[in-house]
Amino acid sequence: MTPTPEIVRWRRTSTIAMTLVTLVGVLSFTWPFLVDSRSALTGDHSTPWLFPVLVGLLGCVLLAELSRGGLDAKVVATLGVLAAMGGALRVLSAGTAGLEPMFFLVVLGGRVLGRTAGFLLGALAIVTGAFLTGGVGPWTPFQMLATGWVGLGAALLPRVGERAERWLLAAYGLLTGLLYGAVMNLWFWPFLGSSAPAGAGFDAGDPLGTQLAHYGVFYGLTSLGWDLPRGVLTAVLVLVAARPVLLALRRAVRRASFGTVPAPGDVPRGPRQDAGRGLQ
Amino acid sequence: MSPADRLSRPRLLHPVAWWAWGLLLAAAASRTTNPVYLLLLLAVVGWVVVQRRETGASSTMGVFLAIALTAVAIRVVMTILLGSAIGGRTVLVDLPEVPLPDWMAGVRLGGPVQLEALLDAVYHGLQLATILVCVGACNVLADPRRLLRYVPATLYDVGTAVVVALTYVPQLADDARRVRTARRLRGHDGRGVREVARLVVPVLESSLDRSLALAASMESRGYGRVTLAQKEHRRSVALTMVGLGGVLVGVYGLLDSSTPAALGLPVLAVGSACAVAALLTGSRRDRRTPYRRDPWRAPETLVIASSAVAAVALSTAAARDAAGIVPPQVPATWPVVSLPLAAALLAPLLAGVLSPRPPRRAALEDRAREVAQA
Repeated sequence: MTPTPEIVRWRRTSTIAMTLVTLVGVLSFTWPFLVDSRSALTGDHSTPWLFPVLVGLLGCVLLAELSRGGLDAKVVATLGVLAAMGGALRVLSAGTAGLEPMFFLVVLGGRVLGRTAGFLLGALAIVTGAFLTGGVGPWTPFQMLATGWVGLGAALLPRVGERAERWLLAAYGLLTGLLYGAVMNLWFWPFLGSSAPAGAGFDAGDPLGTQLAHYGVFYGLTSLGWDLPRGVLTAVLVLVAARPVLLALRRAVRRASFGTVPAPGDVPRGPRQDAGRGLQ
Repeated sequence: MSPADRLSRPRLLHPVAWWAWGLLLAAAASRTTNPVYLLLLLAVVGWVVVQRRETGASSTMGVFLAIALTAVAIRVVMTILLGSAIGGRTVLVDLPEVPLPDWMAGVRLGGPVQLEALLDAVYHGLQLATILVCVGACNVLADPRRLLRYVPATLYDVGTAVVVALTYVPQLADDARRVRTARRLRGHDGRGVREVARLVVPVLESSLDRSLALAASMESRGYGRVTLAQKEHRRSVALTMVGLGGVLVGVYGLLDSSTPAALGLPVLAVGSACAVAALLTGSRRDRRTPYRRDPWRAPETLVIASSAVAAVALSTAAARDAAGIVPPQVPATWPVVSLPLAAALLAPLLAGVLSPRPPRRAALEDRAREVAQA
């Protein structure tokens, strides 16, 4: 099983845009730890809404930047179909446990499709799932970004042998299951305010150490019990199904022979030179 | 001319109007867990779909309904098995509890099943079902593929992928059913976790095949990459970078109290403006010419306005914490219903009257009427 090339090119500008958005994203997720009572943001009821809007805008910009130069029809169709599977898995898992079998698809898909397409797959699967389950809300941009990172990370893992890859991806699935929960709690943790249990609430005036300790308690109390099963589920699914699914994906990528046409954005050219390619 | 055509002759309503109508209703549903309001919304959507569904339009509504019912069922079963954070006073059944290790705090297997928790699960499930039905109604009333033309040029490819995904989900269920039937014909019983797992690879394979066929048909219809002229490309990249950098500095300025005040909000605003400009660069140059243009006339605006009434009414009530929007779970009581709000939720019914009749269906109806009169 030889690795396949990435189906969408990763450019230098992609790296810069991704780094900048990741930094803003990290700030948007971790701002409760960074503010103090004298900051312009002190975590009253209106300010947390700034970040969902901001992350939504930046998410759009990032998607536009990653797909600049055009995704060809094959990439669009492949991403669409895989995102549909992710969305369907998300609909099936909607409910109490939030076990999210979707992560399994994002991890394996990201691994095969490469960095750009891996990120896009994660983000689009969330959008599709959100449209289907009607879970569109202030959390959607955060989920898009976090799941996009999961797909990107799977593509960034080092290349290893077939058996090692299975275990590597399983371990990665377990880790991301936990991290995703830890990160996704952060955006609404400040909202809880006084309704959180004692010693687990958010207060902008507390020093960083206390904040982290409180969040640790909050995470352990509420979320760890959910995130661990999710991580384990992803890892088990990867272990069981990685081989056939990776094979199927790689075969499809090879058959589609992505990227045989030079990407128009790379070479200086006039606009829309190959827009009518299908008609020639 | 029939009275239904007084506002507009039979034609397909602009797809954006139907989607805005449905998504506004979905947004309204996402603000409340009151079962009465949710059932009202379901009835409204159902009636409008019955009134304005084009003959031969996709029959995805059934699939959406099935998914909606499954979602409710899964939620209820999960609540019974795993308990919920709601708690409650009225214990219906006391299931034997399976002891779990301490570090699994938050997960409980078995134990008492309370009426309140169950009702909460049903309400939230019903909310999800309503939202799903609204999206399903959008799909039935306006084929999502017709929306392809209205995504801004910079997000065109990504938007296309999403539309492909949304269209493909019901076919996924079809694929799964077909593979399962094939396995049954070969003598497998088609039940159990193992059998479900066997579906994964064939469904994945057929999906990927389908994606290639779809790509081929898109290319043969002239779907190509869109690139900007180099000058604009450079400007757009520069705008993106400046915008992202500005947002980063602005957020940092907002969070760090030692930076001067000028570094916070103003820089953030400038950065966001640049980011928006980057998104819009090239949108105006988009010279895609649709084969059949969808006009935007009075019915479109009226249809959106009718559901905006419901969405705004519910959102305002929710923002004011009005009674009955999110009925209290403990103790379980009959939810409060406000009559003005219920009336506002009925306003979207007007879409079924004000929107033009879809053409094929109108032709059939008119012929049927002529036959009846003759």
